[in-house]
Amino acid sequence: MPISQTAVRISQMDKYYGTFHALKGINLEVAKGEKIVVCGPSGSGKSTLIRCINRLEEHQSGTITVLGTELDDNLDNIDEIRRETGMVFQHFNLFPHMTILENCILAPKLVRKQSRAEAEEVAMEYLTRVKIPEQADKYPGQLSGGQQQRVAIARALCMKPEIMLFDEPTSALDPEMISEVLDVMVGLAQDGMTMICVTHEMGFARQVADRVIFMADGEIVEEAAPETFFTTPKHERTQAFLGQILGH
Amino acid sequence: MDATLPRQTRLRALRTDYFSTRLDTLVTLGFGLLAAWVLWSLFDWGVLHAVWSAENREACGHGAEGACWAVIDARWRLILFGLYPFEEQWRSALACAVIVLTGGASCAPWFWTARRLAALWVAGFVTFYVLMRGGVFGLTEVSEQNWGGLSLTIFIFASVTLLGMPLAIVFALLRRSQLPWIARTMGVIIDAIRSLPLLSIMFTFAIVLPFVLPGWMIGDKLHRVIAGYALFFACYQAEIIRGGIQSLPGGQEEAAQALGLGYWHRIGHIILPQAFRNALPATINQLVITFKETSLVVIIGFFEILASGNAAYGNSEWNFAHVEVYAFVGLIYFVFVFALSRYGAYLERRMAVAER
Ligand SMILES: Nc1ncnc2c1ncn2[C@@H]1O[C@H](COP(=O)(O)OP(=O)(O)OP(=O)(O)O)[C@@H](O)[C@H]1O
Ligand SMILES: [Mg+2]
Repeated sequence: MPISQTAVRISQMDKYYGTFHALKGINLEVAKGEKIVVCGPSGSGKSTLIRCINRLEEHQSGTITVLGTELDDNLDNIDEIRRETGMVFQHFNLFPHMTILENCILAPKLVRKQSRAEAEEVAMEYLTRVKIPEQADKYPGQLSGGQQQRVAIARALCMKPEIMLFDEPTSALDPEMISEVLDVMVGLAQDGMTMICVTHEMGFARQVADRVIFMADGEIVEEAAPETFFTTPKHERTQAFLGQILGH
Repeated sequence: MDATLPRQTRLRALRTDYFSTRLDTLVTLGFGLLAAWVLWSLFDWGVLHAVWSAENREACGHGAEGACWAVIDARWRLILFGLYPFEEQWRSALACAVIVLTGGASCAPWFWTARRLAALWVAGFVTFYVLMRGGVFGLTEVSEQNWGGLSLTIFIFASVTLLGMPLAIVFALLRRSQLPWIARTMGVIIDAIRSLPLLSIMFTFAIVLPFVLPGWMIGDKLHRVIAGYALFFACYQAEIIRGGIQSLPGGQEEAAQALGLGYWHRIGHIILPQAFRNALPATINQLVITFKETSLVVIIGFFEILASGNAAYGNSEWNFAHVEVYAFVGLIYFVFVFALSRYGAYLERRMAVAER
């Protein structure tokens, strides 16, 4: 795979929290346009893994290369990678003191140096795409969870990122709101976005994922196309996990 | 029928709130009578039997039953302007008005960006200083040593806040620096200054510092006192701001980082605006305390409003009228501090609307 086709390359990466070995020898390569779903039991290191990709967490050994730039202590590189990497959090993390529109135009204005008019135009475009343009002047606290998460996705997209990271974007939502968020994510996948999603929505994984990655105890245990992953999981921990999550 | 309904419910509310049991009735009546008696006595003293005009001064004094507001009539310029030259006192009054207007303008949401607010206050403060100090635009020069009364109180309060607030932000940010030795040093400095009484800090800056500093750094005594007071204010306010920052969910900073915002953008647009919201009640509290403690400058020889009040009755002509003078000065303090509290409450209400 030529460099320019690789979005993320992680090799022999270790991550410690103090003395706790949270990620052990991770190897992962994600091509541009690829959609990866990461799943695994609680505490297995899924969040830690994707937070390392945009340096919200620092790794201790091995290398992480994002869009051809290696993550090291060079702060310029980190800022550059964060500009090109959007992230959606479990708890939305919208800025409560700003309106929806202000949430969306803040980073394009400050980081991309867009004019206000330009940024607003892009923001309205994405808010329309996530189907809430009419909420633009409200504050996050006035929106439902599902609406807030869609705003969070629009906010990340306004930076026109190359890669989108999702950390359990639907697990804080009431069941009836999950599908509205997943619909947006499916649309995004169909447009060819590179996506790394931590999620337990197996329907979503089946529909859009190119690969499913199963983690346990800080290691990648199994990695397969969704078809194979769901029908013939090899590792017994994967089987147990799938049994739990699909079996009831 | 409909029109009388609200009155009935209010009456019923009154009954359930104040007269629902025999004990409640007793307490209500008891305290009602007490309050009525206090109010009536004050009214009788302060209005019915009061002497209002300085021409009737003879009516005050020995055996008089009412308040002698004549002292205010005669001495209000001393109370409000201290030793400021008599013919120039309009400047002092105008300067106060400028600061009050600046404070009023800060209530307008249009000013609520760091840049506009800073510009507004710098403009207001410079106008105040030029008016008071003179020496330009054909205004005669009046040195700080001759300032006094309300405008001195306002000057000290405004400069302490304007210097202290940015300093407090810097302290708070250093206090949570990633580098442990910076954070710890800042912590020690804050704790050290907080453990000293304000009076001793003012005294040190006014009296001791000139012996230590090189000549060009000494400056005016009043300016040194203000610098000391600002440092003291900044240490308390820094902890208030830090508390506001700590109460933010960690996800806020992370979300800003993930969007690629740099440190100063995160601080300026995400962290501080929210931290100040959280810290608003404590900040207003700190401002109120700071306003009232300006009266301590009297120990190093400045006549702010309380000291000029003391001077106002401190001669043989008016020496019986201290209660009236204190009531007047107290009223002025009340107006300012109460306005400050209401401003805080207004801000809180507005922000609650924004965040729901
Ligand atoms: N800031 C931290 N300090 C210390 N330990 C941490 C920290 N963050 C996570 N951990 C530990 O690292 C491990 C992996 O955590 P992580 O949040 O990545 O798990 P996860 O797979 O995302 O779990 P979940 O499904 O519950 O979100 C856990 O054992 C957790 O306790
Ligand atoms: Mg997690």
